[in-house]
Amino acid sequence: MRIRRLQTRIILLFVALLALVQVAAFWFVNAANSSNAHAKIEEELNIGQRVFARLLDQNADKLKLSARVLAADFAFREAIATHDTGTIASVLANHGARIGADAMVFVDLDGNVVSDTLRPGGGARRFEYPALLKMNRNDATASMEVLDGRGFQLVAVPVLAPLPIGWVVMGFAVDDAMARDLRTLTELEVTFALETPQSTDKHWRVLASTVGDDEQRALLAGMPQLAGAAQRLVVDISGVDHQALVIPLDDNDNARIVAVLHRSLGGALAAFERLRNTLIVLAVLSIVMSIVGSIAVARSITRPLETLASAAARIEQGDYVEPVRIERSDEIGVLASSLNHMRGSIADREKRILKLAYEDPLTDLANRSRFANELERAIALASSGEFGLTILMMDLDRFKYVNDSLGHGVGDHVLREVSARLQSVVESAECIARLGGDEFAILVKTGLAHDRDCTNTARRIVDALEAPILFEGQPLDVGASIGIARFPDHGRDAQTLVRNADIAMYAAKRNKTGYAVYESHYDTTQQEHLSLLSELRRAVERNELRLYYQPKVSLHSANISAVEALIRWEHPTRGLVSPALFIPFAEQTGYIKLLTRWVLREAMRQCGEWLREGLRLTISVNISARDLMNRDLPEQVAALLTEYCVPPSLLCLEITESGFMEDPAHAQRVLDRLSELGVKLSIDDYGTGYSSLSYVMRLPVQELKIDRSFIAQMASDPEIATIVRSTIDLGHNLNLKVVAEGVEDLAAWNMLRVLGCDDAQGFFMSKPLEARALSAWMRANDARFDCPGAISNTARLRSLR
Amino acid sequence: MAGDLTLAVRDAGGKSVSDAVLYAVPDLAATSVPAPTAPPARALIDQVDKEFVPRVSIVRAGTEVFFPNSDNIRHSIYSFSPAKTFTTKLYSGREAAPVQFDKAGIVVLGCNIHDKMVAWVYVVDTPWFAKSGADGSVTLKGLPPGDYRVTAAAPASNLGAVTTDVHVDAAPAQHSFTLTAP
Repeated sequence: MRIRRLQTRIILLFVALLALVQVAAFWFVNAANSSNAHAKIEEELNIGQRVFARLLDQNADKLKLSARVLAADFAFREAIATHDTGTIASVLANHGARIGADAMVFVDLDGNVVSDTLRPGGGARRFEYPALLKMNRNDATASMEVLDGRGFQLVAVPVLAPLPIGWVVMGFAVDDAMARDLRTLTELEVTFALETPQSTDKHWRVLASTVGDDEQRALLAGMPQLAGAAQRLVVDISGVDHQALVIPLDDNDNARIVAVLHRSLGGALAAFERLRNTLIVLAVLSIVMSIVGSIAVARSITRPLETLASAAARIEQGDYVEPVRIERSDEIGVLASSLNHMRGSIADREKRILKLAYEDPLTDLANRSRFANELERAIALASSGEFGLTILMMDLDRFKYVNDSLGHGVGDHVLREVSARLQSVVESAECIARLGGDEFAILVKTGLAHDRDCTNTARRIVDALEAPILFEGQPLDVGASIGIARFPDHGRDAQTLVRNADIAMYAAKRNKTGYAVYESHYDTTQQEHLSLLSELRRAVERNELRLYYQPKVSLHSANISAVEALIRWEHPTRGLVSPALFIPFAEQTGYIKLLTRWVLREAMRQCGEWLREGLRLTISVNISARDLMNRDLPEQVAALLTEYCVPPSLLCLEITESGFMEDPAHAQRVLDRLSELGVKLSIDDYGTGYSSLSYVMRLPVQELKIDRSFIAQMASDPEIATIVRSTIDLGHNLNLKVVAEGVEDLAAWNMLRVLGCDDAQGFFMSKPLEARALSAWMRANDARFDCPGAISNTARLRSLR
Repeated sequence: MAGDLTLAVRDAGGKSVSDAVLYAVPDLAATSVPAPTAPPARALIDQVDKEFVPRVSIVRAGTEVFFPNSDNIRHSIYSFSPAKTFTTKLYSGREAAPVQFDKAGIVVLGCNIHDKMVAWVYVVDTPWFAKSGADGSVTLKGLPPGDYRVTAAAPASNLGAVTTDVHVDAAPAQHSFTLTAP
């Protein structure tokens, strides 16, 4: 089982360690104590034995001394010397009493008992222990003997008159009093016992003891067969072990007297037991205290950890308000403060992330996501029917041009300025957002069905953007187109509303009306538009693209030596699709590069084919800004020229002013290399951009194409006509061929001829034709444009030449 | 007409024993030796250096024995012997009165103060007695012929007494005693 909780683990560890230490300590102390106790008992017994032996010796010495003193007493000797038995008996009794002897015997030199206070009368008999009788007074010894069934410490001293005339034997009874005396000094229980080998049933008999009868019996039952030396044994006395020491005191054939010193082990071990109990209590107490302490320690660790964990959980759930409250200076305090810092940092970062996620960093307006959220929310609220909503989708006209031609810095400035103006104009908006690029969206809460409110807002915006935006003192003219869709009239969900506002905006842009409220018929064109874009991707693979060629007719000779290749999409269901419908989107998506490559290849292939047919035509191909960013373009062009054996001079690449303004240096390099190949270059749509003429001069171009808008208006507007003329002059001064586009009538044709323009291109001469149709037309007209109604002019011109 | 009796005393090891007490008592029943009369006599047992000097004395019954004290400490002489029981008070110098040993027998003397002091006084009813010399022998002179009970004893040498019958006539007789420890 794994213990997961830190607290439990800490407690277990603490307690286990302490318990281990306690058990070990207890075991050691207990063992030491136990052996100490036993050693102490041993030692006590040893001491007891020594003291006992010493006491007996002292007793014997005292006895000997007394006996000698008595034996030397003149009166005593005198009485003994009288040989008067009566007197002797009385003297023995009297003097015996004087020294406290319990037995007094006089033995004559022959070893016969003359008188005996213990056993008076009884006739003549030998003294039982002749070994005690020594002639020399100094040899007198004391020994334990049995007299009349009782134990005595006996001493025999010769009675000198002055030669020995007999022995006086004195005995001190071995009795309970003596045992008690010995116990007082040895602190051991003392028992004197007698072994009588003759008797069969009762081996041992107690002579004297300090213990009671029961204990004596138990002791005797445990007595061993004695050898000569002192012996130790453990005797069970009424359930308690006693350690006993058996000391032989006298050993002769008849009887054996021993002293048994003993003490209860229980008594000796009592102190040890108390110590052990104290140890156990201490161990248990310390374990309990360690449990309490480790719980406290564990809690002091795990409580803050739990607090930290719950704080972390709160942060995880996004609650950054409540800080972690742990006031400590230790690691946990540091961790808590780190967590607090982290909480603040995460809150800040989340705020930043939210800002990034929901705000446009450039303008500080809401972004697309935020707008979508706000819109969803507003729709949910407005669904109650209490109020209506209006969304305005705004797209800047000409912004792309500003951005492309003047750089992103200017574009950003424009966007910021527009957003500032928006904010000042529509203060009541629920949300003003920049959706990306130059797209803005405004959400306004309105009353129900109040068209005027929203159109007023749109008008105010348009008016606000009328004033030019200044960038470094230069005015920039940026207009706007606004599409308006209302909830619930033009859609009940956000997606529909936004789409419809978008559609309205495109309508406004198309119609150049500034703003437009959504109308249902806008929808279909827009739908078409979007689906075309998705289908364009498959157009190349399905071989749905075609190149049409529009001739460029010389205004001087009416000869046709060049054509412009124009792409057409032959849609399987829609029929021919105008390039205006898909080229801008192809440019936006980058798909234009593939289209350009396809166009170049197809144009070169066609050029080569015509060459083989004997038709030498320069083909112009439109190159977009993105194509100019492609540094491989010159190589690709060279490869195609080689592949189809086309002289480079038969290829003319048309570029718009904006096409090279995005990265002029890079564009210049690409154009230089194309020029080195021998490819002609032409500036398309000249006059619509802001390009500096001096810059154009540096480009290796051979041709200038005047934008169709000038040609269309030059007849009605003398100023435009002046511009056209100046442009033509300018081109000629720069040694460029000048081509006019969009020539749709004879008036234009003639006017351009008068102005000295070199070539003309337009429906007046020919619409774009398929290659086969063109070549047929060319052959039929001898590669000349037979200008209806201008023959005379032509003729006149010819004649002039 | 009288004969001499030369007596020699040896111990069990054959060594001559000096200061042995020797005396001959005529066997009145067997001989015609006249019973000796007892002339008053005096003897002297000195106490020198906590010793009786001589340690062994032999006197004729009726002899008065003087106990001068040559030590500068006092002594108290006693005897529990049946032949003569007496005791003197503590005395020094020549304070003690003489003690008459009037009965034949062995009297052992002790000092009540000094247990080690011991002396033997052989009180005999015969004029023929002597102590052996350094060579362990002595000659009793002027013994009328007849039978005698001759006793040799050397208590100071811790040897047992020996008594033997000896016939004495005109010719010098001799007898050798071998004493053994009792």
